[in-house]
Amino acid sequence: MDVLDLARTQFAVTGSLHFLFVVLTLGLAPLVAIMHTRHTVTGRQDHERATRFWGQIYVINYALGIFTGLVMEFQFGLSWSGLSEYAGDVFGAPLAIETLGAFFLESTFLGLWIFGWRRLPAWLHLACIWLVTLTAYASAFWIMVANSFLQNPAGAVERGGHLVLTDFGALLTNPTLTMALPHVIGAGLWAGGFTVMGASAYQLFRRTSEREFFTSSLRTGVLVAFVGSLITVGVGYAQFGVVATFQPDKFSQPMVGPALGIMIGIGQTLQLFIMFVLMPVLYWLPRWRWAQPILMVITPLPFAAATAGWLVREHGRQPWLINGRLTVADAMSPGLTSGMVTVSFVGFVGVLGLLAFADYFLIARTVRRGPAAATLGVDAPTGPTERAHALSL
Amino acid sequence: MDILWLGVLALLLLGYFALEGFDIGLGMLLPILGRTQRDRDRIVSAMAPFVLANEVWLVAVAGVLFGAFPSLEGQVLFGLYPVVVALLLSWILRDAGLWFRRRLEGPVWRAAWDWMICAGSYGLALSWGMALAAIAGGLSGPPIGLDGLGFGVVVAAAFGFHGWTFASWLLPGQVTGASRDGRALLVSACAAALPAAVPLALLSPWVLEHAAPAGTLGVLSLIIVPFTPVMVGAQVWTWRTFGRRRAADRMPSFF
Repeated sequence: MDVLDLARTQFAVTGSLHFLFVVLTLGLAPLVAIMHTRHTVTGRQDHERATRFWGQIYVINYALGIFTGLVMEFQFGLSWSGLSEYAGDVFGAPLAIETLGAFFLESTFLGLWIFGWRRLPAWLHLACIWLVTLTAYASAFWIMVANSFLQNPAGAVERGGHLVLTDFGALLTNPTLTMALPHVIGAGLWAGGFTVMGASAYQLFRRTSEREFFTSSLRTGVLVAFVGSLITVGVGYAQFGVVATFQPDKFSQPMVGPALGIMIGIGQTLQLFIMFVLMPVLYWLPRWRWAQPILMVITPLPFAAATAGWLVREHGRQPWLINGRLTVADAMSPGLTSGMVTVSFVGFVGVLGLLAFADYFLIARTVRRGPAAATLGVDAPTGPTERAHALSL
Repeated sequence: MDILWLGVLALLLLGYFALEGFDIGLGMLLPILGRTQRDRDRIVSAMAPFVLANEVWLVAVAGVLFGAFPSLEGQVLFGLYPVVVALLLSWILRDAGLWFRRRLEGPVWRAAWDWMICAGSYGLALSWGMALAAIAGGLSGPPIGLDGLGFGVVVAAAFGFHGWTFASWLLPGQVTGASRDGRALLVSACAAALPAAVPLALLSPWVLEHAAPAGTLGVLSLIIVPFTPVMVGAQVWTWRTFGRRRAADRMPSFF
């Protein structure tokens, strides 16, 4: 592999890893917010337990979204300084707005939500999770604005050897954005719904003592996945016209054809399966123990389809970084060597890979131990009571 | 307009040092101030509710660099390549330690992640020292060197002092055995920000030369200005919620 391939692979691996966690964040955030709302409105204990259990899964998953996202953000400057040199005046704007107007707030409000249990007034605490959800979606919007610019550089003209922003509105109404954003959001709901469904199926299969809890969440998961799958598939097909107009050669790239086939194969089959098999029997589904292994097995499929989808979108852009304007080869930082990329590749992919593995292990463990063991929102025993307890020992 | 965005960049970078500085400092001091697991839990619990609100200032620095000073972004990050890689890996490992340490029971698991927090915090402080020394030297020499390491020790000392002061302020007489008031915390925050403030002040004309055109900065200002009160409000709210008055009775446990 030469240096260009190495740098591309590094970005592809961190990017795929990032989206694997982000897609679940996008799906779970509104679900947790709705559960928290039901708890706050009704004051019922079971809704609080649901919020803390699914919230803990959401938060553990969130950690890897941050770690991989940090590497993504800094990799632009490390490996692709030609991008900021040539198009930073345009491409940088949505990224800057995302960090200041969305992620900065998301991170701050998430801290308030995680540590604010029994510390903030109930309604303000609820507001935190809704603000986290809102800013997560704002984040997705601005990142997709930036990504869509790479697919179709709208709103900019070349002056003096680099791109200048001429029409910010065109950046926001980019046809490669208006279809792709709901596609991604639908995929998020689908992945979130399937995670809730799969986790509930596992518990029901193991003859859980929390039968009522997981019966209700299994139904919720399938329902959310149904809505997500309709959005994803519907908007997905609608994208073909846009791609034909702006990137006519997209699907003739090597690797893109098979990836597209995998995505559509999984997506279409699964969407029909949810609509015509799972939805009609939704009421009885939690009682059928034999059906639970099937639900568990199909849980990872939307994640696989989402990864294949990104491969189509990004690999189909090659050899361009900015379609028709800047090639990936020209965007690579001048002076970047194979040695530099190899060392950072091993570091980033090694560390992030291990942490991703640990993260999934911890999510699986949280699922296995069930809502009674959720620690989110429980105070640590470091107060005066514990000290008294320690003295008595 | 470019002056305004230089101000934003400076505020975010100095804010990062003044705020995240105490998290990094406490991470470095974790094995010294926390001889027992119970003490280490108390220290991590003290900083935990602030970490997410503090570290995000650096994410914002990178975003502003990309949006408002794009030609500088590639130049600085690529010029500091090995240091930036070390900084990111340290940051990720420190954060992983915080997120994961309480996810399994058992003393070995938690103690191992506590060492990761400590190692990552030292890595962060030393990487920052090397990065700042290399930037102040105009990115001419190799980014890793003895003077960089020396400046790293200065940064580490400033962060350590700030972390110690924060713990003495939030939990008076408990972790450090000392008690500090808000004014002392302000002084240590300034001390933590100073290693970044000096190079930034010297280099501000150079930074200004790389500002994006007025059109781009205009759009950025138009979108970001309405969010400023919310951003400030969220940060203030974090301090009001988890600050000294509330800290004494119960500690949130998630990290």
